[in-house]
Amino acid sequence: MILTLHTRRRMVNVVALALSGAATAIGLLFLGWILWVTLKNGISALNLQLFTRISAYGAEGGLANAIVGSVFMDLLALLLCVPIGVLAGVFLGEYANRSKLGSTIRFLNDILLSAPSIVLGLFVYVIVVVPSSQLTGGAVSFSGVAGAIALALIGLPVIVRTTDEMLQLVPNTLREAALSLGVPQWKLTLQVLMRVAASGIVTGVLLALARLAGETAPLLFTAFGNNFMTLNPLDATASIPVTIYQYTNDPNPAMHAIAWAGALLITLLVLALSLLARSYLKRNRITYD
Amino acid sequence: MTEMLLDTSLPSATLTEPESVQTSSPATTKLATRGLNFHYRQAHALKDITLDIPTQQVTAIIGPSGCGKSTLLRVFNRIYAVYPGQVATGEVLLDGENVLDPAYPLQRLRARVGMVFQKPVPFPMTIFENVAWGIRHHEKLSKADMAVRVEQALRRAALWDEVKDKLGHSALGLSGGQQQRLCIARGVALHPEVLLLDEPTSALDPIATGRIEQLVDELKQDYTIVIVTHNMQQAARISDRTAFMYLGELIEYGATEQIFTQPDKRQTEDYISGRFG
Amino acid sequence: MPLNPALDPPATPPSSSAPHQRADARHDAWFRYLVRACALLVLAALVGAMLSTLWGGREVLFGDGLHFLTSSDWDPVNNIYGAWAPIYGTLVTSLIALLLAVPASFGIALFLTEIAPPWLRGPVSTAIELLASIPSIIYGMWGLFVFVPFMASIEPALSATLGRIPVVGALFDGPPLGLGLLTAGIVLSIMILPFISSVMREVFQTVPARLKESAYALGSTTWEVVWHIVLPYTRTAVIGGIFLGLGRALGETMAVTFVLGSSYDLTTSLLMPGTTISSSIANEFNEAVGLHRSALIALGFLLFVVTFIVLLIARLMLRRLALREGRS
Repeated sequence: MILTLHTRRRMVNVVALALSGAATAIGLLFLGWILWVTLKNGISALNLQLFTRISAYGAEGGLANAIVGSVFMDLLALLLCVPIGVLAGVFLGEYANRSKLGSTIRFLNDILLSAPSIVLGLFVYVIVVVPSSQLTGGAVSFSGVAGAIALALIGLPVIVRTTDEMLQLVPNTLREAALSLGVPQWKLTLQVLMRVAASGIVTGVLLALARLAGETAPLLFTAFGNNFMTLNPLDATASIPVTIYQYTNDPNPAMHAIAWAGALLITLLVLALSLLARSYLKRNRITYD
Repeated sequence: MTEMLLDTSLPSATLTEPESVQTSSPATTKLATRGLNFHYRQAHALKDITLDIPTQQVTAIIGPSGCGKSTLLRVFNRIYAVYPGQVATGEVLLDGENVLDPAYPLQRLRARVGMVFQKPVPFPMTIFENVAWGIRHHEKLSKADMAVRVEQALRRAALWDEVKDKLGHSALGLSGGQQQRLCIARGVALHPEVLLLDEPTSALDPIATGRIEQLVDELKQDYTIVIVTHNMQQAARISDRTAFMYLGELIEYGATEQIFTQPDKRQTEDYISGRFG
Repeated sequence: MPLNPALDPPATPPSSSAPHQRADARHDAWFRYLVRACALLVLAALVGAMLSTLWGGREVLFGDGLHFLTSSDWDPVNNIYGAWAPIYGTLVTSLIALLLAVPASFGIALFLTEIAPPWLRGPVSTAIELLASIPSIIYGMWGLFVFVPFMASIEPALSATLGRIPVVGALFDGPPLGLGLLTAGIVLSIMILPFISSVMREVFQTVPARLKESAYALGSTTWEVVWHIVLPYTRTAVIGGIFLGLGRALGETMAVTFVLGSSYDLTTSLLMPGTTISSSIANEFNEAVGLHRSALIALGFLLFVVTFIVLLIARLMLRRLALREGRS
């Protein structure tokens, strides 16, 4: 009886551990599968034309306008969300660390971090696209600016969170040392704390870029799409993810090939950014112990 | 003699003031406290502290951990005010002016009363910038004048010879002892009148400690120095006067030699001889 | 010490003048307002997203009221909008995703905290977390071009086996399209796997070693320690992690849109196409006008409110863990 109970317990253990190993293997298998398919289809579809021709040529065209549009909107989004996010993070980390308002905003920021991106797209549609269309009599409706604002809402909580977390790690003695020189708080924050937190903030920017560069849903009804090259922020603007979406829905396999090439570009960019963000923080962090 | 006569505005002080606390008047008093109390949350960290700190001497504050010695130091430049919920009542007089008065300009106080902390905390800047940064906020200096000021401060802190060839390097690359002297240089660069040292050698090795102690001895020619230390030998070596605190109270205060050889109070004697703490 | 007396000017009087002091105080106040305003923008983004979708969907939300929620009749031609089909699809796909992802995440967390040799933990957990950074459009393409055909090839086998079980069988009954609720649920489960497993892994590591050691000392197996000690100890945070994954699954758009097939017919079979709130919005928004567009924005409002509540629960449960760790 004792022996059988013991055997049973050991068997349960072996089975459970084997299953957990299998779960990990399955997770890795899917990662490998998705990356392999993207690499294989993407590389075979890569050619120079992708970077030189615009999507107006359809199956004979490329992604030049989408690449330019994506870079343009991603940078504009960063321009919007990095300063605001860093300052909001400073508020949480320095000014309202223990206050009720501070913890409420920190809490809501975490929710914004996982909020459905398509709803953020709808939000920008309602507050930017519709009013701009009404104000200009329809001349400006979908626009690169609207797309960038939607993407900024995706990146904002990432920046806020990393800035806040980095500031939490700064020892209080550093603040006291600066303040005891008779320097005001804003100078301490911008000239000392920002330097200490810099590596974390750079990491946050990389992570935010990795997130927003791959987003499709918030762009569908804000930047829309454009078959032509544009750098006018008030024009509808193409992006790689939205172009992939449109081309994938097209029955023509030649369009699918272009979509795969775009998928490869986006995936490589996003994975490189995520990995870079991890190693950057490890190498460049300033610590006081 | 005691300071109680000056304390009529704070009647509670007269009740608990230990009568035999020595506050014998030195030549001139730079910094003084009158009936100083300190609270945070429910804790009563300083209880009716009244003492006079003489100018251009080294005053050591000793006592077991948690006795309030660091808290006392942190009241002198009001750095405690960074944290909400910490309240100091009573008076801290710098040249006779009450610096706890909310109207007393905080940044001026901190320029006059410099502070060096337990762990060296260089700013993430170059060695030169570490010293220049504080000055720049208070004075507009030409590039040449600034270079002179920085050199002078680094010489003052006995660091110049070691760093003069790498002023543009990051201060984070210096050794612990060098970093601590850089922090002293940063403080003296503002030409403060009082220098507060909060266990400045507790994170350093014996050689670096020796250099800092020697430096303190030199600096007292120009500055009034208050040093908190848990190391009684250190207090005996470098200070002119010593205050012994216990559980938030000032138990005994007098000439260092007297405190260490013939303390008046039993508690002081027990602590000095290592029987508790 | 070689002191150059010429370098030592006499102690200067305090250099900061009174106006200087006042300027500092003023700049400090401005800076405080600035950072507070930026932080309030985070609040404004959430409140704004809720209010703007409420406003955009007002004609349907306040016009049809409860009918909008309960009716499954979605007919743009006749301007009749009932949201039950997308709500049903959202719930079913998210539920499938949780059913698959929760045990798998638990297994991964168990593997990474208790079984894997230390040198393997870093690379494997990084790889699993990379699943979270792959853009959802990539999941969508892979799903449509690779995973849907794969599912179509195994669905006949599913129908032939699971489909024959009484009651449950109805779920696996249908033509082998590849597209459908089950496929969407599986793709979602892979997408939320890294979120749930990383929360679990993190909280499993917070279990004090002495708790585990005392159980091991009594002769417990690894599985018993995890099941009887680690899991009860971290229960709240584990549930928080699951809700976090649920929040992700509910709002996911692109991947689901590609593999779901877009159909407003309600079916019991998981092998049949369906729709979710987010894929209805993505598919129809740019062709919709008038009341149709309002109905889609109203769907967005519903989605936002539901995910907000789910994420709120998740964060509340995770916060208790943060408090115990002394953070937050």
